[in-house]
Amino acid sequence: MLLIAGTVPYEDFPLVTGKIEEAGNSLRINGYSFSRTQGTGAMIGAALAATGYLKLDEPHAVVAGDTGQGKGSREIYEYLIQNIERLSPEVLTLHYWLPNMALTRELCNAITKCEKRPVMIADAASMYSAKAAGLATEFDIFTPDATEMAFLADPDATHPAYINKHLFDTDTSRTPELVAAAYKKNDAAKLLLVKGAADYIARDGEIIATISEPDIPELEAIGGTGDTVTGLVSAFVYAGMEPHEAAIITSRANRTAGKLAQATPATKVSEIIDHFSTVFAENLCQWSGVCFVEGEDKDD
Amino acid sequence: MSFFKRKKKPEFEGGGLVLFHEVQEAMKAEKVLSGGGYKVKLVAPPPELRKGCDLAVEINLVEQPGIERLLVQKDVVYLMVTPLKTDTSEILEIVKVTDFGRWLMVKAGNMKLTFDKESGEIVNTSGGGCPDIPVMHARLIGQNLSEAPRPKDIGFTLCSLMLDKALEKSIILREGVE
Repeated sequence: MLLIAGTVPYEDFPLVTGKIEEAGNSLRINGYSFSRTQGTGAMIGAALAATGYLKLDEPHAVVAGDTGQGKGSREIYEYLIQNIERLSPEVLTLHYWLPNMALTRELCNAITKCEKRPVMIADAASMYSAKAAGLATEFDIFTPDATEMAFLADPDATHPAYINKHLFDTDTSRTPELVAAAYKKNDAAKLLLVKGAADYIARDGEIIATISEPDIPELEAIGGTGDTVTGLVSAFVYAGMEPHEAAIITSRANRTAGKLAQATPATKVSEIIDHFSTVFAENLCQWSGVCFVEGEDKDD
Repeated sequence: MSFFKRKKKPEFEGGGLVLFHEVQEAMKAEKVLSGGGYKVKLVAPPPELRKGCDLAVEINLVEQPGIERLLVQKDVVYLMVTPLKTDTSEILEIVKVTDFGRWLMVKAGNMKLTFDKESGEIVNTSGGGCPDIPVMHARLIGQNLSEAPRPKDIGFTLCSLMLDKALEKSIILREGVE
């Protein structure tokens, strides 16, 4: 099971769990619909595009409404803490929620009870709470952008709003230095996919790949293009790829979809997501060696 | 004797402190914030952070904007909000601007806001990871900079506060364009 957890931006949306379905421009889970523009919805939309193409099971999700006051976030934490052992997903991806260090710690403890430890992926505020609580090394993949990389590199920051201005005041050419600093203080996951003008893949403190083509700088302005990265890498890891391989292919796929969408800073992320199936059909076989024709199961 | 073993609740780890001049204000704040649904705790501030009285309220630092707004609304007088870790930097005030020709992207901390230079319309927001950010995205897209709601007034988290700084700078830049 690929299990994705995160908040959706609605006041009266209860905690809902189950398989994700596509419903036009929305996503649906157990009869409840939510938008795939930005945030958890964009991430799940991207993951669904990849699992659909690869003929894998749809992602399972745990979502709850939260407009910033934390109620839905706490419901998600509590659900996961109580049920993660039973669910025992192969991949667990955590995303938007109100960061809570104590509950993140409790969740990491609960995960130790799983028969097989899931691959743990975090982006957005779940990455903030993991780092702030000193639990970054419990995670397999983080997907920070350049500012969030500075946050991971600043040992005293508990949120990117409080990072040292000298770390913020840098361009992405200093990413390798920030990566090394974060690993030195155990404030990084085992693998980092750092999103920026060039995407850096880092493992154990070392940059192992840099992807800068196609060069689509407009992607940074488009809300949700970081979320799609997290969704794709989750699906590719679930498909059995090694984390570094999944990260490299994710970076290429996101950029290529941006190119196909002829992205401008005014483009919506749903327009990017809509190009993933074409990107996969044209490139995935060459990039990954995962080659099969339409209508054929990947295991055939 | 495991049957007496209680499940230990996690300690509150908020990461931020509200400091006060008066003990009474700290106690009032604790009541107001708890009543507003915030998880908070009365604590003694560490000596290096002590600026007023010797009672403070520990908060989840990420919730700073919503908490400060509620304290002001309820007439609670406080000195300041500060991160609990004493070596933490001040809140980021610098912004960066990227020119995409027709559009300008303004970045404050982890948040970015992009607007059309000619019309002043906000065309995108990106970055962040707090639960109010998708709400801000929906509320701001398509709005003119001068008419858009301020994230610091309707958001609850530090992500919203940074988005507000990006909006504030965008308004200044747009006035320069006109």
